[in-house]
Amino acid sequence: MKDSLERLIEEKLRRELEAKTRRHFIKQCATGMGGLALGSFFLGCDPPEKGKAIKKTGFSERDLNPLATLAPPFIPKVKNVIYLHMAGAPSQLEMFDYKPELQKLHDQACPQSLLEGKKFAFIRGVPKLLGPQATFKRRGESGNWVSNFLPHFKKVVDEVAFLKAVHTDQFNHGPAQLFMHTGSPRLGRPSIGSWVTYGLGSENQNLPGFVVLTSGGKTPDAGKSVWGSGFLPSVYQGVQCRSKGDPVLYLEDPEGVSRDLKRSTIEAINKINKEEYAKYADPEILARINQYEMAYRMQIAVPHVMDINSEPEHIKAMYGVEPGKESFANNCLLARKLVEDGVRFVQLFDWGWDSHGTDHSTAVDLGLRNKCTEIDRPMTALLLDLKQRGLLEETLVVWGGEFGRTPMQENREGKKMGFKGRDHHGDAFTMWMAGGGIKKGASHGQTDAIGFSGVEGQVSVHDVHATILHLLGFDHEQFTFQFQGRPFRLTDVEGEVIREILS
Amino acid sequence: MKKKIGTGVMALAIIAIIAVLWNFFKPSEKVDFSADIKPILNKNCITCHGGVKKNAGFSLLFKEEALANTESGKPAIIPGDASGSELIRRIKEDDPELRMPYEKPKLSDKEIDLLTRWIDQGAEWGRHWAYSLPEKVTVPAITAEAGYATSSNPNFIQNGIDHFIHARLKSEALQPNPPAPPNVIARRLALDLTGLPPTHQLFDNFSSGNLNYEEMVDTLLSLPAYGEKWASWWLDLARYADTKGYEKDGGRTMWQYRDWVIKALNKDMPYDRFTVEQLAGDLLPDPSVDQLIATAFHRNTMNNDEGGTEDEEFRVATVIDRVNTTYSVWQSTTMECVQCHSHPYDPFKHEDYYRSMAFFNNSRDEDTPSEDPNIRFYTPDQQKKVDQVTQWVSKYGSERLGQEYKDFLSFMEPKYQAHNCEDFTNGELADTKYLALWDNGSCRLNNVYTQGAGFMYMHYWSNVDGTKMTIRKNDKDGEILSEFIINKTDGSIIRKIPFKKVDEPINLHFETNNDGIPPQTSTSFITWFAFLEDIPARAQEGHGSVSSTFLSLLNTPTPELPIMVENHSYMARATQIFERGNWLLKADTVQPGTPEVLHNWEENWPKNRWGLSQWIVSKRNPLTARTLVNRVWHQLFGRGIVASVEDMGTQSDPPSHPELLDWLALRLMNEHNWSLKALIKDIVMSGTYRQSSQNSPELYQKDPENELYARGPRLRLSAEQIRDQALAVSGILSNKMYGPGVMPPQPEGVWQSVYNDSKWVESKGEDKNRRAVYTYLKRTSPYPSFITFDAGSREVCSIRRTVTNTPLQALVTLNDPVYLEAAYNFAKTMQAETEVGKAIAQGYERATFSKITPSKLEVLMELYKVSLSDFGNKEGTGENFLGIAEKTGANLAALTVVANAIMNLDEFLSKS
Repeated sequence: MKDSLERLIEEKLRRELEAKTRRHFIKQCATGMGGLALGSFFLGCDPPEKGKAIKKTGFSERDLNPLATLAPPFIPKVKNVIYLHMAGAPSQLEMFDYKPELQKLHDQACPQSLLEGKKFAFIRGVPKLLGPQATFKRRGESGNWVSNFLPHFKKVVDEVAFLKAVHTDQFNHGPAQLFMHTGSPRLGRPSIGSWVTYGLGSENQNLPGFVVLTSGGKTPDAGKSVWGSGFLPSVYQGVQCRSKGDPVLYLEDPEGVSRDLKRSTIEAINKINKEEYAKYADPEILARINQYEMAYRMQIAVPHVMDINSEPEHIKAMYGVEPGKESFANNCLLARKLVEDGVRFVQLFDWGWDSHGTDHSTAVDLGLRNKCTEIDRPMTALLLDLKQRGLLEETLVVWGGEFGRTPMQENREGKKMGFKGRDHHGDAFTMWMAGGGIKKGASHGQTDAIGFSGVEGQVSVHDVHATILHLLGFDHEQFTFQFQGRPFRLTDVEGEVIREILS
Repeated sequence: MKKKIGTGVMALAIIAIIAVLWNFFKPSEKVDFSADIKPILNKNCITCHGGVKKNAGFSLLFKEEALANTESGKPAIIPGDASGSELIRRIKEDDPELRMPYEKPKLSDKEIDLLTRWIDQGAEWGRHWAYSLPEKVTVPAITAEAGYATSSNPNFIQNGIDHFIHARLKSEALQPNPPAPPNVIARRLALDLTGLPPTHQLFDNFSSGNLNYEEMVDTLLSLPAYGEKWASWWLDLARYADTKGYEKDGGRTMWQYRDWVIKALNKDMPYDRFTVEQLAGDLLPDPSVDQLIATAFHRNTMNNDEGGTEDEEFRVATVIDRVNTTYSVWQSTTMECVQCHSHPYDPFKHEDYYRSMAFFNNSRDEDTPSEDPNIRFYTPDQQKKVDQVTQWVSKYGSERLGQEYKDFLSFMEPKYQAHNCEDFTNGELADTKYLALWDNGSCRLNNVYTQGAGFMYMHYWSNVDGTKMTIRKNDKDGEILSEFIINKTDGSIIRKIPFKKVDEPINLHFETNNDGIPPQTSTSFITWFAFLEDIPARAQEGHGSVSSTFLSLLNTPTPELPIMVENHSYMARATQIFERGNWLLKADTVQPGTPEVLHNWEENWPKNRWGLSQWIVSKRNPLTARTLVNRVWHQLFGRGIVASVEDMGTQSDPPSHPELLDWLALRLMNEHNWSLKALIKDIVMSGTYRQSSQNSPELYQKDPENELYARGPRLRLSAEQIRDQALAVSGILSNKMYGPGVMPPQPEGVWQSVYNDSKWVESKGEDKNRRAVYTYLKRTSPYPSFITFDAGSREVCSIRRTVTNTPLQALVTLNDPVYLEAAYNFAKTMQAETEVGKAIAQGYERATFSKITPSKLEVLMELYKVSLSDFGNKEGTGENFLGIAEKTGANLAALTVVANAIMNLDEFLSKS
């Protein structure tokens, strides 16, 4: 059996060959279009200065190409982000936050002191405490707790840093997801991925800079606003790539139109647009010429990167992919491929984590366990695969939900329920991060004996955002966008970098 | 004579000496606070010493704060004594640890000099230009030497606007462009006024001189398409959509409001009336149905139906949105900041926000799933019955009671929503929405005033029989006010229940008993209660029939539209300041009011939304007319006279032509009586608008943003225009107006909803090809090609669409079946000409209204040939080409490729 390094080399060679053919095709397309070297139009002999207006003409490379790569203001630890969101809010108490005391108090009435002044989505009256439905062991050298619901994850437990006491003030899915991804529970703000793509551009000019993949193609509760661009230009919004139909809307050429014919069409459009530019000298025309070229390149590059069949069998097995499905495993593998090809921000949404205990699929001892099994192998594989390619050092992987779940058993409408479930709970829940700049095997923050509230190292959603931006080379307080007469930022007027989990 | 000369010389000499001395000893020129000082403070100081932070107890936001003692116990500014002022000492400081601004470069000598002189002159606080409006503006005269303008464009001066533009161009030593050629200006004008290219008949009439330019303008303004075009602009401001937003994002019926906007624009309803009807139509005397529909402006706010969400939280969110939207739309003012703290830059105070909020805090809507109150649209037959009931009640009762019945039939208010019940025993607020008690259950609804009504109306449904409900006064030991049995219902019903007359505000204590059902079973689900005096004249013949007509009308489903209805005084909510903007931390109670810094409130205006609307459209309001002028200008030129179209205040850009802005604003109010069409006509009649949009590298370098207007506007078309134009030139655009939103083709799987099964059902027939303004807009999943071309999702008020230029746009116009079908139909019209070269030339001209150049024709001919050989070389070409069912020959297919290319040209996607 070949070792993994050898297989990687083999894979690399094969991919290089493929890429060469693809590059050749793209290059041929560009030269075919009359070698529209835009540089010669404007840039002259001046070295292009990133993001700055080129004095000679008054407009920047960014005006022509809003996704042109920009350097962050500070030295970054990572270039890319893969954000794994478990929509519905996974139970920290069955996965990472081990609470033996809660086991002892199982089925006892919840102390009144915990309920005072609290609002729950569905719990009414005095609920009972529900002991952990999983067993826990210390794993890895770090000795961090991982439950038996996640047998694979123990392999990478020393790669990640846990945040055990994250809190949010939202306890309904829609607003909480918006808050987690845009820094505000109300609609209208840009998502993290939009901010990051706006600030850094894309590393690959043939692909969108911010890609979203959802399990089963389902939109999260809060809708597409969780990857929306808010008041930022729409070019920075997440592009949802689908595995059914076109990966990007309208990507495929219409029936009966060949690639060559599409090339001729774009060539003709751009030739006439050049004549129009000669007449009106409007730089927007040049930008449009550029965008038509990029559209053509995307038509080739996107289907390629979205095709997992080209991956070697052992990689597919490692993730446990299911070809043809929009599964979380497939999406994890795609996330790696996208980041590898220079996509800046990849956001994955999985769903089905809303373990209220209203039926089998939402019981914390049954359905939740199945959900854990679904993600355990692929998310472990993602970290291992990124690591073996040296990509983990330049990528930040974030895992979490929009809030956590109560230590109490849900008693919907004040009634005892047939299955074991937990209600929404924003006071304390677990998230983890892994990758460049992250302290491996760290665990920050603690909850009280039953996991109800944070007692130490509490961090807010804004703190998480500040940390993500910090790792990408931004000071979250300085990274602003002027809108409606005032500067806006992802972290609003709050947020502190969580230094405790930085290496 | 000599003497005279001598005197003259002498006088000159004296003047010269005085001039020299003057220069030497000149008293410092008066420093202007708004122009000179405020920008320095805003740029360098206010972040740490302003609304949000007041480091060292020092703030520069308001005069009284700036001159007050700081933490050091002394004021930082001593008027008249710069050298004694800490502020001056600190900005001059050499030690970087002490120097201000902290950790920033030292202020320039000029800035320090200005601040020093300003303090020496008494540190006077000025008023920003945006907060006062001059009474009159003089149009700059065109002097004889202005002949310079005629060298490039002898016809540049067309109206007053051009005088202002000319003055600035002259000072910048620029010349206006020549006028755009007739074909170019005709297309620009038609797209700007109607959102569509001109019809060929209109174009021919104009080109041949049958119509002059002004007649062309008047014709276009009179077309129904005008209202459809400008509605898109207003609907962005109004955040109009066909769904409620938030997680569930269920559908709502709002289209009557969209149609109201189109109609109001088309009949050129004066903007003051347009404003008053939308903000306060319900508070007008005896409002018409249309005036009630207009109030849906503020019902376009989102509504959260997600289970587990508290309605009051989202009702408050709605009220906040109305405050923010009102100030954004009419006052170019960002009130959001003031929600949590005093404005960091503008002179608005924290309590100003809540005073404004108090105007909006007393409408009946409470974020319920039904979106009550809704206006009910009756059929003519039903309306007759409505009239019968109200006439009876007015005749035998009183006018007042007649009105109460009329209101109740019209929008079913006032009523008490059951979701305000509390103190539940054996029961709950089901799904945080409905009152649901079990056996032996109880709860309480506070502060109900029945006005001594003898009947209660209750809206509910029940799945079980035999529940006894008892309603007591105040608590469990209170007097029984009503007792009745609730049985299983067939869906929701409104029931009339006898109720003991009580003429004082009380709490209602509810009890339910039903031992025939399993434990924890809800006896019923109640939405609301209402109290009405009985229909009068019980003894009179016909009373029974009127009574039953009334109840059956209430139970008859009708089309509905959410509207604004104000609380009666006995239901009024007090408005409290939220500390740091948190709705749960309530502080002092405030009364309705407008920011002090703006113009005064007049005594005769009631302190309600109607009064607020009067304050907004008062000719003394400095911001309303300017805001409108600026935004209309922005629609036409792609840039505002104040470039920050969202904001006119101390943080906004200074106007490029301040006097023009004021002149147009005054003219709009005083001469045009708020006519939007007259304002638009003024602008498009100007020589400024009619210039060619040709740019040059030199001009671009001098004025990249075109803020001097030495050239006409050249802008990419809006999402709506791009679609409408494509359908129009290919001859498939439907001109059907109004009605529910339509669903043109979009890819499968784009629309995915959680928890509801609403589906995108592709419209058939002409509804497939309606104008974009009629497309169904789902907030969490707007029509994909519109979003790609920068239309918004209308969750909140949007003043400006950021114009982007992306590859995804190219994919839409190249590959979206909607555009392919348009290209195919366009190619069919081209086919009428058999000679290919002519066919292409004509097609190009029909699309762009320009004659094709030989080189462009060559490119398109080449594309045609390549396509033809591509199709000719393949087996079975024409089968299912582009997914179109009809069988297409190679020639038509090749022409379609050419048509698709034409419809992707920059000149087609832009107005030049």
